[in-house]
Parts: sequence; structure tokens; C-alpha cells
Amino acid sequence: MALSERVRNRWSDGRIVHQAERIADPVEKLHFLRHAMKGREQAPRRPVWKRLMLAASVIAGFFFLLPPPSVVSDAVTVEHYASLPAQGLSRMPQKSSDVWLVEDGRVHETYSNGLRIDNSFLVENEPRFYQVLDRRHDLQPSIDWRSLPVGIVFHSTESSIGPFSADQNENLKRVAQSLLKSLRENRSYNFVIDRFGRVFRVVSEDQVANHAGNSVWADDDLVYLNLNSSFIGVAFEAQSGPGVPVTVNPAQIYAARVLTEMLRSKFKIRAENCVTHAQVSVNPSNLRVGYHTDWAAGFPFAAIGLRNNYDLPVPSLSDFGFEYDTLFRKTMGNELWRGIGLAEQQFVREAVHDGRSLGEHRRILQDRYRRLYSALKLTGALEEHFDATNSTQ
Amino acid sequence: MLQTQPNNGYPVGLDVGTSRIVTAHRVDDDFQYKTQLNAFVNLPFSKMTEKTLAKEGVPHSIHDSEIVVHGSESERFADLLGVETRRPMSRGVLNPDEPLSLLQIQKIIESLAGPARAKGQKLCFTVPAAPVGEEGGVTYHEASLKQILSGFGYDVRSINEGLAVVYAELESSNYTGIGVSCGGGLCNVCLAYLSVPVLSFSVHKAGDFIDSSAASATGDLVNRIRITKEDAFYFNGYFGDKRMQALSIYYEDVIQTLVAAMKEQFTGSKSLPKLNRPVPLVLSGGSAMPKGFRERFEQVLGACEFPIAVSEVRLASNPLEATAKGALIAALTDQ
Repeated sequence: MALSERVRNRWSDGRIVHQAERIADPVEKLHFLRHAMKGREQAPRRPVWKRLMLAASVIAGFFFLLPPPSVVSDAVTVEHYASLPAQGLSRMPQKSSDVWLVEDGRVHETYSNGLRIDNSFLVENEPRFYQVLDRRHDLQPSIDWRSLPVGIVFHSTESSIGPFSADQNENLKRVAQSLLKSLRENRSYNFVIDRFGRVFRVVSEDQVANHAGNSVWADDDLVYLNLNSSFIGVAFEAQSGPGVPVTVNPAQIYAARVLTEMLRSKFKIRAENCVTHAQVSVNPSNLRVGYHTDWAAGFPFAAIGLRNNYDLPVPSLSDFGFEYDTLFRKTMGNELWRGIGLAEQQFVREAVHDGRSLGEHRRILQDRYRRLYSALKLTGALEEHFDATNSTQ
Repeated sequence: MLQTQPNNGYPVGLDVGTSRIVTAHRVDDDFQYKTQLNAFVNLPFSKMTEKTLAKEGVPHSIHDSEIVVHGSESERFADLLGVETRRPMSRGVLNPDEPLSLLQIQKIIESLAGPARAKGQKLCFTVPAAPVGEEGGVTYHEASLKQILSGFGYDVRSINEGLAVVYAELESSNYTGIGVSCGGGLCNVCLAYLSVPVLSFSVHKAGDFIDSSAASATGDLVNRIRITKEDAFYFNGYFGDKRMQALSIYYEDVIQTLVAAMKEQFTGSKSLPKLNRPVPLVLSGGSAMPKGFRERFEQVLGACEFPIAVSEVRLASNPLEATAKGALIAALTDQ
């Protein structure tokens, strides 16, 4: 378009707008505009002879000025727009170089830190796919969904345990086999460590195991509900007794250590996201923590290469106003985890900061949990968990 | 059986969408709308069924010894029978794989608008813009609809879907701005300057893409996913349900693709007028309706260095009816 024409259009557009704005009826206004703008639907075209001259000069320019193409392709170019990553991930995890797979046999896997995994009880389950809540933005659900684990929950199978001696060898093996079959049926954990320290993969790490449905945990940034989806379940073949904490043997501890090393290395799992079932388990009906109490005390964090995570604030108390009862206190051996005290302090601090009474603050936090829990429950996300865990624990 | 809606002989706006067909009439100073799902389902013929449908006023016809229920009721029957509805249109145009497409679309339009009441009664219907990279792809669709509507006795003209959104919603900016219609088969975009369409195009990813992708991810019927989407889906929800998870993922994909296409088309266009102030952008269509869609769209647009300054991103006052209203306004200005 020539400069003079552009200037003319600008001037006339201003006049058109001025007149259009004086018309109240939308239909009349549009009628006026369409009439006034007639002929402007398409950019004015150059006369044919000018276009031909231009085309000829462009073609000549290409022939004379450009070097001959060195590659000829008949590939068809198509429009392409970025789509979401296949697994709903916003970021791929970094590659691990600390612990690596040395040998991938048909049944056994061997890792560089001495870990050996038996896959003979491996069973398929749902792939992981979950949302997290942003702790720094008032627990807003994240936009992106995740499909890789971010933590480990340690369990005990709470199955019958016989004497651990050489003369009981056949019996011990038979019990372990029978236990593994049952855990496989229920897809109860991702890994099970039997009493000989053998590590069995029951459900692959990228899939959900039914080990901690009603549960809450958090790190500095994010809150996780329903840890079946977000955490790996590792169970020791072990049993607690009335007033007696779970005990495991050195072979199991060694196996747990190398397994934890491998998982942390493979999925870049933070140390503070390696916790016990008792620390994360909650009861949504009475809003108390410790519905499951395995490893409520005595988990050998240091021997497994972790710091004492009983010291970490319990997020169900601090973020959702859960409480605990005397029974739960007892399972802790009457010595409260330091994390409970820290969570309670945080709860009080936030109530004071927000100018609320403790009761009011608790009610608001509990309502928040109830809303989130209803969303999970109404949509059926927890159904599988109830069936499976009831039958195993 | 046909249910013909009253037609006052004044101009008619008709939005022929992949998912829904909507008519708009002007009655005094008011706009009135009628909607039918652009779908049908076959039922085995029995006299009893036929009688019941007639008694209940369910739009249907008999075809090759089967009963064909068309329009909105088809969704209910499909859900009851556990089958998919059949769709006369796909990806914004007549469905080439559906042999009954023209016949059924004719039935649905007839049930909504009926034949012209007066000689030369104006009807303006919407057509999609050519999808990016497929110029000329809507010619057959447009010509076929013109033929059907002329057969009903109307004086027919067509309007681009995105422009219809501009006509419906952007009177306050003198019909300057960007209209985006997020429908079932396509997302249509049009930039208009003082009512003149400057640039328009469409993108294939839209509501049906979300439904079919989510259905294949969850193993559900597409129809069931669509019902879930329309009844319960919203953005930034905390869902444990697989259907919702899948819907959320594919909705995000649609927004990202749409904004990327807009950026590319507007950046690459040589015909953009020099706009001396930021222009408004209006979102319409059923796929733009979930709570949080506008906010998410605005967020993605804001993050992409969009070449045109946008003063606001807002949702049409009636997202499902904006396009039909715009078509009606176009028909009214032709009088």
C-alpha cells in the first residue's frame, strides 16, 4: 500500500471511528462500519504488469544471486505445535550416575552398589499419575501432572513371623513365598524385603502400589495426598507386638540401605521424603494421624543412610489440623517424635499470624483437608486402596 | 417427526458447529436461541418405540427400517444404550466418513429453524476458517450447507466463525479485536479491524480432540467423557479420577496449541493493520466454558510474547450462543 494511501486510510479510520461511536444500536453500528470499510477487505493489489515485473525480477535474483542448492529434499513440511510430554511430566528427572544397573537378567537385576532385585513376583498395576499441592501458594493444585515417584514409605508387612534360625529355614522360605503371593495379588507394595534380606519387586516403581492410600506428607515445596501414587512402598517382612516395635535383622537393613540408595539415585528422591508409614498414615473419618502405626518407632534411619526423619514436622498436623490420641502416643513408646512438636509449633505460629484462635485455625485447616479428600474419594481414586490394604494389614 | 420452532420471518443466525447447532432470532430487542446437539443415534425399529418417541416429542425419523434419533436427545439414548452417537460433522466440516451426514444435518436444522417464512428471508450461517496449512478445505462443506439452506427457501450467506464472535461481542470496541471460538471440531480465530476480517484461521485441536484423546487414555466411551467434561470438569481442580486427569492434560494441550498457532499466524502475517491501541480478545464456544479456562488461556498467552497488544481476555457473555448471535447480527445488517 502506498504511503499516501496509508495516510489517507488512517485519517479516514479516525473519522469512521468517531462516527461509529455515536451509534448506539449494535446492528446499525455494524451496518455503518461495514459500509464505511467497504473495499478494505483485502489489501489493494498492484496492477498485473507490476506484479509480473516484480515476479520476474525476484526469479532472476534467485537465479543469479543465490548459490545452487546442495541438498534437494521432497519432504513435505507440516505445521507442528508443541504438545504435552507423553507422561504428563513438566520436567524429566536428571539422569543418575551414582548407582547404576549392572546386569538386567530375566529374573534378577544387579546394581553397582550390590543391590540385587528379584522380579519373579512382579505384577502389573496402574501407572502413576498424580497432582501435587503447592505449599508456597496456599496449597494450589499443580497444573502439571506427575508420573514418577518422589519419595519412599517404609512399611512392615505385619505378617506372622516365626523364629529366625537355621532349623526353620524351609519354614521361613515357605512363609515368605506365601506372603509374596498374597502381596502380589493385592499389589500391596512396590518392594518387599524378606527375612533373608532378599529384595522382591512386586509392583514396578513407575506404577502404583496400594500401600498408603489415606496419607499425607510434604517437603518444603509440595504436599502429597494419597501416597500410593507419589511414593514407593517398601515393606520389611516383619511384625510388631503389643508395646514392642518392629524389629528387623541386619540382612534386611543392608538390603533396605542399598535399595534406598538405588531408588534415591534413580528418581532423585530427597532424603526428607523417605519416611515411615506411621508418619504419613491418617484417618480421614476422625482426622487423627497414625491410622496405621507400622514403624511408629525404631525405624533404623541412620543404618539405612538417612537422617532421623522422625524429626521432620508432620504435615498432617501442621497443614491440615489433624490430631493424635493416646493410643498413637503409646505406639511411639511414649516418646513423641520431635517432628510432632515442630508441627504443633508451626500450627500455633500460623494461627497467631492469621489472628485466629487455635480452634478456629484447626477447623479451617481440617475443612481444607476434607475438601481435598472428598475430591479424591468422590472420584473413586481411593477405592482400590481400601480393598487392598484391608486385606493385607 | 420434526419439531419446527416458530420462525417469525425475520433474519436468522445459524451456528453450524461440530458439536451443536444453534439458531438465533431477534424478538423485539431480545435475542432468542434454540440449540440441538449435532449428533444422532440409530435405534432398532419397533412400532412401540416409534410411538413412545412421538408421544415424548423426541426428534426422530425413520431411515432404512431403523429409527434415527437426532439432536440433543441422541446423547441420552446413546448413553443408555452404551453406544457412541454418530456425528454429521467432524473437525469443523461435514464428516466424510458418515454417509448420513447431509441428511441428518438437514433434519436437525429443520427442527431448529424450519423453512423460510417469507420470501427472501435472510439466514446467515457460520463456516470455519481453513485450518492452518489446509487452505480451501471448507469449500465443499460451505457449498453443501448453502444448498440445504437455500432448499428451505432462505436467502443465504455465510460468515466466518471467529468474525461472528467479534460481531456478537465487540461492539464496544467498534468491532475491532480478536474473536476466538473454541468449539468441538476446531478452534476458530479471527482478528477484525473496524468490522473487517483481517486474518482468520482455525486449529484442529478442540473439544472433540480432548474427548477422543481422553477416551482412548481411559478406555471410556467418547460420549461418556463428553458428558463428564461438560458436567464436572474445571481447571486447577484436585482430581483423583482418571477421566478428569486425562481431560486436564488434553485441555492444556489444546490451549498450548491454540496459543502457539495464534502467535505463529499473527507473527507471520503481512496484512496486519497498525493498531494504535491494545485490542480485546473474546473467547467463546462450549470448550471455553470450564471454570478456569479463561485464566489459563490468558496465562499461556501472556507467557508467549504475543505480537499484538491485548487489552483484555474475556469470556463471551453467552459462550454457547455467541457465534449464532454474531451470525444473526450479520444477517440483520444485510437487510
